[in-house]
Amino acid sequence: MNEIDKLTDTEIKSNFYSKFLYSTLFNLRLILKNLKHRKKSAIIIALGLIFSLTILFSSSIWVHTSQKIIADDYIETLDYEMYINTFLPNAMNEVYDYLSDDSVVRQVDWQYVTYALFNFENKEQNYTVFPESEQDDLEDPISLTNAIIVPTRAIERIKLNLEIEGNASLNSGEIMVSYSEAKELEKTYKKTITPGEIITVAITRRIPNTDIGEDELRFFDIDETTYYNYTISGIFKYTGTDGIIDKLIGAKGAGNIVDSVLFPMEDLTYEDLYIFETNGLLPKLLVKTDAEKLRTGNIETMPDNLLALKERIEINYYHTFCRILKHEIETMANEYKRTFSSAALFIPAIAAALILTVLATQMTIKRRGKEIALLRSRGASSVQIIGIFFSEYSIIGIFSLLVSFGLSIITAAAFPLIAGGKSITAYNLSRFMQYLDISAYEIEIFSIIVLGIYLGVTFVNIVSFVKKDVQEVLLITRKGQRILSLGVNIAVFVLVFVGFILLLIEFRNVFDPFDTYGFDSIERSSMVLLAFMGVIFFICYYISMGIVLLLQKTPKVYRLIFKNRGFFIYHNIKRKTKTLTELTFFLILIISLLTFLISIRSITETNIELENNYRNGSDIRVQTTVPINISEYNERFSKIEGIEDTLGFYSLRATIGTQDVEVFGVDPLKYLSVGNWIEHSFQNTTVEEALTALEETLDGLIISDYTANRLRLSIGRHMFITDFKGGPFSLPLLITGIISSAPGLGVAHGNDPKMVKSADEYVLVNQEILQSIGVENGSLFLLSVGKNVDIDQIIEQIQSISPLLIVNPEKINPNYIGYFITKYIPHVSVTLMLGIIVLSFVAIVYIMISTDFILNQRRKEYAVLLALGGKQTKIRGLVIGEILVFVVSAILIGVPVGLLTALSSLSFIKPLLIPREIVPIVFEPGILMLLVAIFSLILASLITIIPLIRKQTKFEIVHELRITE
Amino acid sequence: MADVFISVNNLKHTFTSKVENLTVLRGVSFQIEKGEIVCLLGRSGSGKTTTLNLLAGLDKPTGGEIIVNGKNITQWSTEKLHAFRLKTTGVIFQEFYLLEHLTAIESVMTPMILADDKEELAKERALELLKAVGLGDKTMNYPDELSTGQKQRVSVARAIANNPSFIIADEPTGTLDSKTGDGIMKLLLRLIKKYDMTMLYTTHDPYVAKLANRVLILHQGKVFEEKEVDPISFDYDNFEQLYRPKGDKA
Repeated sequence: MNEIDKLTDTEIKSNFYSKFLYSTLFNLRLILKNLKHRKKSAIIIALGLIFSLTILFSSSIWVHTSQKIIADDYIETLDYEMYINTFLPNAMNEVYDYLSDDSVVRQVDWQYVTYALFNFENKEQNYTVFPESEQDDLEDPISLTNAIIVPTRAIERIKLNLEIEGNASLNSGEIMVSYSEAKELEKTYKKTITPGEIITVAITRRIPNTDIGEDELRFFDIDETTYYNYTISGIFKYTGTDGIIDKLIGAKGAGNIVDSVLFPMEDLTYEDLYIFETNGLLPKLLVKTDAEKLRTGNIETMPDNLLALKERIEINYYHTFCRILKHEIETMANEYKRTFSSAALFIPAIAAALILTVLATQMTIKRRGKEIALLRSRGASSVQIIGIFFSEYSIIGIFSLLVSFGLSIITAAAFPLIAGGKSITAYNLSRFMQYLDISAYEIEIFSIIVLGIYLGVTFVNIVSFVKKDVQEVLLITRKGQRILSLGVNIAVFVLVFVGFILLLIEFRNVFDPFDTYGFDSIERSSMVLLAFMGVIFFICYYISMGIVLLLQKTPKVYRLIFKNRGFFIYHNIKRKTKTLTELTFFLILIISLLTFLISIRSITETNIELENNYRNGSDIRVQTTVPINISEYNERFSKIEGIEDTLGFYSLRATIGTQDVEVFGVDPLKYLSVGNWIEHSFQNTTVEEALTALEETLDGLIISDYTANRLRLSIGRHMFITDFKGGPFSLPLLITGIISSAPGLGVAHGNDPKMVKSADEYVLVNQEILQSIGVENGSLFLLSVGKNVDIDQIIEQIQSISPLLIVNPEKINPNYIGYFITKYIPHVSVTLMLGIIVLSFVAIVYIMISTDFILNQRRKEYAVLLALGGKQTKIRGLVIGEILVFVVSAILIGVPVGLLTALSSLSFIKPLLIPREIVPIVFEPGILMLLVAIFSLILASLITIIPLIRKQTKFEIVHELRITE
Repeated sequence: MADVFISVNNLKHTFTSKVENLTVLRGVSFQIEKGEIVCLLGRSGSGKTTTLNLLAGLDKPTGGEIIVNGKNITQWSTEKLHAFRLKTTGVIFQEFYLLEHLTAIESVMTPMILADDKEELAKERALELLKAVGLGDKTMNYPDELSTGQKQRVSVARAIANNPSFIIADEPTGTLDSKTGDGIMKLLLRLIKKYDMTMLYTTHDPYVAKLANRVLILHQGKVFEEKEVDPISFDYDNFEQLYRPKGDKA
């Protein structure tokens, strides 16, 4: 009977447990000691993992957090999100009460529009007021303007559309006056009108019907609504372009607010309001929503939540009509989605960092062959060895995961800083923490993907080191393993490629090249991009195999370039080592991705520039928010020295079919010479032909391609334009051209968010047509200048003509949502630039660690060469030469691959770069930046590896030979 | 009187490490004449390899001087020592130190390429040398395709590639069986005579030592001289009592 048999069960178990505990503790101590001993490689691996994980985590955190911030901030920039009209004013109180209780609604304000009168006090009741220009006493006239009646608190919303001199205040006893009205009052009272001025104002309780002769003062019903000693708290210019006020009483609506006063509703009695309604001055309700409630779910549900509110009201109150900013909020959500989806372009940089980490791990494992042999010789089993090694790398992985999580919260907070910093005053860390939203699910997924890849590949590498056991277990020869590996490789490539094709087909199905790119296009575009990156990965891999074969078969080239050193460099490269193949592959991949990102960035920047040029329209663009006299200002502009030609756009609203359009009257040949036209402006004809035809055809009409397609119209057909404001009921015109977009005006049909469009569509006619029906005004001029003139001086002179003129605005539509979004999320060109920097850094680090690894593996060789009489400088030269062979080969192959990648990606990447293709995207690869990047990469690589090589080759020959014996 | 080719005077060397300093050579002095074949005999750890490394310019002594062909190499810079190793000496290592990725002919070409000879000429000469060492049919073989004896032959051919004046061989038969080792030594001696070189080699095998013109015995950091060695009666344990230090009259 042996000792074991004598032990009781308990004793046997406790023996086992204590042995287990002891061996676990021992292994743990060994693992920690190994990590401490290999600090440098552990740090590099950890840094790579931390980088990849941190970027992914912080992107996820920022997606969820920024949605809320952006939604809330955007809603705050809007005056209101809805207005409600009714034909039953008596029932409006109920609607008001209903809205006040609705959880999505934050504030509801009444609004009435009537007239205001000034300088009426000494006039008789039979004084003829209307028309204003023909009133009884033009020496001491009454000033008549629009009166917008709103509650006091409403000014906090309405002021978002105004540029105010004085205070935005509508307390009892105060009014606010528009700039144009203030100018008119100056003429009326013959004194300067400034904020603080005391004035008497009357609010009319009815709008007289001048068609039946109600043009005298008595018809305005102002006896009970005359207000003395009111203070003008502020003088405003109307600057709004989006929002409910704009749609209701702004440039896109009735235009009332442009020339008006704002009056506090609290100063009117219930009786006054009742009389308003009785007299047909129907109230409207202005609705402001609660952003937090509106974005329940996520930012993409906001338009639907708003629509649901509209429907609730219209269903419950049949007499109401609601107009909501669904389109604007949808555009915001789209733009958010695009800007965020463009972060997909950063994926290559993250992937490169992850691949670097995996390759660095591989290298550290390969260096530990002796350690494995030693452990084996001491009796360690394969399982034990694998366990120890794998535990080490797992600890690095877990540590990296924990650090990444903490770091990602800080880096997520820094996104707006990278985005541009201009809104830094609107943003601070405490606000970020208040909105902080972490998706545990996404964090889990990213962790699993990154650590899964890292630990999976590491595990396979470790196991493959234990070759004997693998062969025994798998019963496969080394050749068999190679064939299996190649087979799996090809199979995965085929799967990825097929996936890419399918995603591309899906993308083409939803992509509409003629409209603003929506959610679906953006989402699918980013999926196609990811699949495409996978395809490129494999293509680079196969190319690198070919390049390595080629490099191994061209000894004469080495001799030619390196002379005698070529002998050693060639033979080193001829070695069939995996490290060299990996080095080639990774460098080709990095250079391709670098070239790809540089090209895409250059393409984007070029497109933005071309588009801005096209949108601006000409050398100088002059726009106003208030229509002004075209011929008067044309004359003023043409007197400025340096201006070659001026073109004013006569404009008014009309209807084609059921489509509301803006009609621009132009001088066609002037437009041809002044405008920055592009080849694709017109369909099926040149710009010259189309505009010449319009010049020659007085009743010519140029319509949008959308309308032409929809109504099946073509050149030579007749078309009626109806509902001309103040003109004939309809006008028959001859179609002389079909236009897609025009310089200075934007796309002919559809949403063009960077432009200010009063209607979704415009048409062009000869200006004489509009002049013949009494149209004199417009809001846009394009000016061309001569060569070698000082444009800034000309702009100054133009601006001095009138404060209403906006010259060469940096942002034609300052309310374009894209400008808003990029305060929070980096613009795509910033993302691309960051990607370029990261990739360059990854490339340099990889070259460095590969060089270090190769030098370590070859210490004995170099010692032998030195022993045989080789010089230190020669040995170092060999190493540099070898690295340069790979770097230069990677550049020569990687750059064309990257350029081709960029070119072919243009078929699906547009939704991630731009909201809509106005100017056809030009392939502009950014050669200069590419050259700078490549040159910097080579230089930086040399700067990092030369000291490394000097250090690694500075050894004692005898010592080195002795170590390896 | 034959020319003195190498003169070693009071050579000292100490290895320093974090743990301890180890003095291996305590004042070694000897001379080698041109064309002579000298063997340095001694036990493991006696300083044979250290002496050879210092003579080959692979290391610098901590004291004393080495005069080769009238020049004091202990004063030389690293650059000059490289040139010395390349042109003047040929080194044969016990472990051969053939580069695994080079074929036999490429290994032999290596010193010539390092000396900036044209590749075609180097290849011609390498072929000639491999034939001379009996490996004319193994020129394209890699080290792992050669036997240990063949590897050492390649190493020999490599060592004489640049027509050196002086061959240093550190235990050239250390890893070989006696028959192979014997063949290698005979080959070496033949080539030395053919190309009129001087050779210093080390061994701990008295049979191999017997092949030299003269034997120097290294013991406890000092050299003793013996003109002839009887391998059968040679007694390592008692030789200090039996043999007197150099210059000591009986």
